[in-house]
Amino acid sequence: MFPPTLRAEPTARFYPSCPPRLRSDLVGPICFCVECHHRLSKTHAETLTDCPHACRAAMRNVQGLSWLILLVLTPHTKGDLSRPGKPTLTSCRSPEKETFTCWWQPASDGGLPTTYALYYRKENSEIMYECPDYFTGGENSCFFNKNNTSIWVNYNITVVATNRLGSTFSDPVDVDVVYIVQPNPPENVSLSVMEDKGWPFLRVAWAPPRKADTRSGWITLIYELRIRSDAENEWETHVAGQQKLFNIFSLRSGSLYLVQVRCKPDHGFWSDWSSPSQIRFPEYFHQEKSAWIVTSAVCAFIFLIITVLLHMNHGSLKHCLLPPVPGPKIKGFDEQLLKKGNSEDIFNALVVSDFPMSWSSSSNSEDLLVELLEVYIPEERETMLGASKDLGGGSFKTSDSDSGRGSCDSRTLLIDKCGRPKEHEDGAEERVEREDWEDARDDTGGRTWPSVFPGLSDRPQRSLSDGLSQVLGPSEGQVCKQIKARSDIDIAVSGHKVSPARWSVEYVGVQAVVNDDMVILQPWGSGEGCTPPLSSLQERDYSQVKQVRSDDTLLLLHKVSEGTADGREAATSFGNMSQKSATCMNSTAATGGYVDAAAVFPMTTY
Amino acid sequence: MTGLREALWAVLLWPCLLSTSFLLECTDQDQVIHPYCLSISQDKLLDRVMQHVELIFRVSEESCSLFEDIFVPFPLRLQRNQEAYACFTKAIPIPNSIGEVQQMSDKWLLHSVLMLVQSWIEPLVYLQTTLDHYDGAPEMLLNKTKWMSDKLISLEHGVVVLIKKMLNEGLLTTSYSDQGLFRYDMQTDMVESVMRDYILLSCFKKDSHKMAIFLKLLKCRHTDNSNCA
Repeated sequence: MFPPTLRAEPTARFYPSCPPRLRSDLVGPICFCVECHHRLSKTHAETLTDCPHACRAAMRNVQGLSWLILLVLTPHTKGDLSRPGKPTLTSCRSPEKETFTCWWQPASDGGLPTTYALYYRKENSEIMYECPDYFTGGENSCFFNKNNTSIWVNYNITVVATNRLGSTFSDPVDVDVVYIVQPNPPENVSLSVMEDKGWPFLRVAWAPPRKADTRSGWITLIYELRIRSDAENEWETHVAGQQKLFNIFSLRSGSLYLVQVRCKPDHGFWSDWSSPSQIRFPEYFHQEKSAWIVTSAVCAFIFLIITVLLHMNHGSLKHCLLPPVPGPKIKGFDEQLLKKGNSEDIFNALVVSDFPMSWSSSSNSEDLLVELLEVYIPEERETMLGASKDLGGGSFKTSDSDSGRGSCDSRTLLIDKCGRPKEHEDGAEERVEREDWEDARDDTGGRTWPSVFPGLSDRPQRSLSDGLSQVLGPSEGQVCKQIKARSDIDIAVSGHKVSPARWSVEYVGVQAVVNDDMVILQPWGSGEGCTPPLSSLQERDYSQVKQVRSDDTLLLLHKVSEGTADGREAATSFGNMSQKSATCMNSTAATGGYVDAAAVFPMTTY
Repeated sequence: MTGLREALWAVLLWPCLLSTSFLLECTDQDQVIHPYCLSISQDKLLDRVMQHVELIFRVSEESCSLFEDIFVPFPLRLQRNQEAYACFTKAIPIPNSIGEVQQMSDKWLLHSVLMLVQSWIEPLVYLQTTLDHYDGAPEMLLNKTKWMSDKLISLEHGVVVLIKKMLNEGLLTTSYSDQGLFRYDMQTDMVESVMRDYILLSCFKKDSHKMAIFLKLLKCRHTDNSNCA
């Protein structure tokens, strides 16, 4: 179909069915109301019989006025009158795909009052229609309402400019309503500052334009927003897609920001930007703790280094960073001697005098725990004991010497209660034992014992004995007899009878106190110090051995019954056990039930 | 001489010839003003009609469920596959099974759609009036039914244009709404009225779905898209 060629020829197709006083002109069903050039579409003309009254009246006025003007202006403008210039259709727009509006631009009017009319034709149809509404869209516009708008067909639109001398037609334009959609700007643009874990951000929300039917899906809109701060000139654009919400991060605190939003349908034009919304971003100072910690740590470290460098001189810095290699710390090791190269001297120097049982360099932890039980012998032996006091005391005071007397010279703790009834018999026994003791004593190595039984008494001098008395309790029987006998040996006094009232004191090495009743006794070691010497008197009870728990443990009764059977048995067992040991045991084997503290401790190798 | 005349005519008319070459149907473009773009292309038209029908179907679904929630008590609700209720459009000779549908020609498909559209225009107008009489009918429901009514009228135009374009037929003058398939009488009983309207909405929902399927099938035939079965 060719577009109709519109020519201003009166002989163009005309429809003779116009009512009287209305003339047809141009193409299509147009009837002129000649008086006021009011154009009517054919459908309208069919109902009209005459021009509208108002039109006629106005026309008269206009005509009169125009004649007057012409009279006035005739000498000047006579030659300039002409037909109107060619108008042009500038644009057609539909805000919601249901109605649309077209605008045109008039050209020169040729000096005469000119009227404009818009005609349209639907695709594949010959019928020409005139614009139904010239006013809604404003000046030089034509508004097509819902009933006149169809998305199924193209519209062919023409604008005609007419004055007294003739008409001029614009170029026709084809319009497809779907492609001319330009929505109104989004509405209700709201700005709010929100917080995300202490960091504030800007949230922009908006609503689609009221007329656009996005809810049913008739139009699908995509949105775009732009933002700039008050101080800048450049806008920053963000595409929001179909959502109606957008978050903007990384904005400067304290600034004033302007935001605008616009939208566009799938096929169509971008709307105008919405009116700018303002918001001031609040001042904030984020307490970023980790950053502060790192910063302060680094500063402190730098400060420290600077201080160190300033205050430390070269030597000490060198000493601090590169400490000297320590030399050997062998006792007796003499570097000078080594330098001299005399090997004999070196080795002699290395030999430690009190090896291996030096108390100061005690390597064996077991030895440290040696505590002695003081056994007190009865009063008769007091003199003997007294004589030995010095020795015992001396040995107490000093650390071990090579004489090997240390342990044996000290006081014993075992208290002998029953020395009294046996005094007659004991003498002989004791003498025998004495010799043994003496022999044994000589063999003792340099063993000492810890000074105090901790925490058991408040009398420092007799602390050991006191402690032991509490631990051991009184004991009777054969034990005391033998202890008494033992105690005699150390006393370098001959034939002194032990009074039953007196107590003899012997020493036993105590490793640990288990309960009130149990004491773990310490073996003396390689036959040394196995015969504790007898020393001072003290009125104490002595303990009876109840049983031997192991090779090391001796169970002593806190209160021993009068019967000596148990004691004997215990002593016997000990005596048997003691056979296993070395020198100590041998000395006690003959005694039978005698509990030799020293003999109790079999030789155990460590 | 005749050759010369023809040549002269050709020379004189060469602008016309040139212009005719541009008078093809428009390809898809976003610019609106193209003087030589005469009419909307067939594919575009078909797409628009399909979108139109799908929108109508979606809104009909929403309306039906809204009406159901508000007015229809639970025991009286229609189940999805229930064929117990008869739609008045049963009388229209439309294929109901997929097999039948696939055998239909383009012409028959389009005419079926047109028949359906035309037969529903009047009942929807009627539905609007009855819903106004209900107490407690929400604004949204009324707006939806009005929307559907308007769009259906527009759809009719579209289908007519499509038929004209695809089948090169002239304008159809017969309107199926005149055949009076839809008969209504004012029911005084509220429950009866509600049930009738409920069935009406459900039928419209079904028919609009049917229309969408027909058009989709038509589309598949005319494109090389392998997605269509």
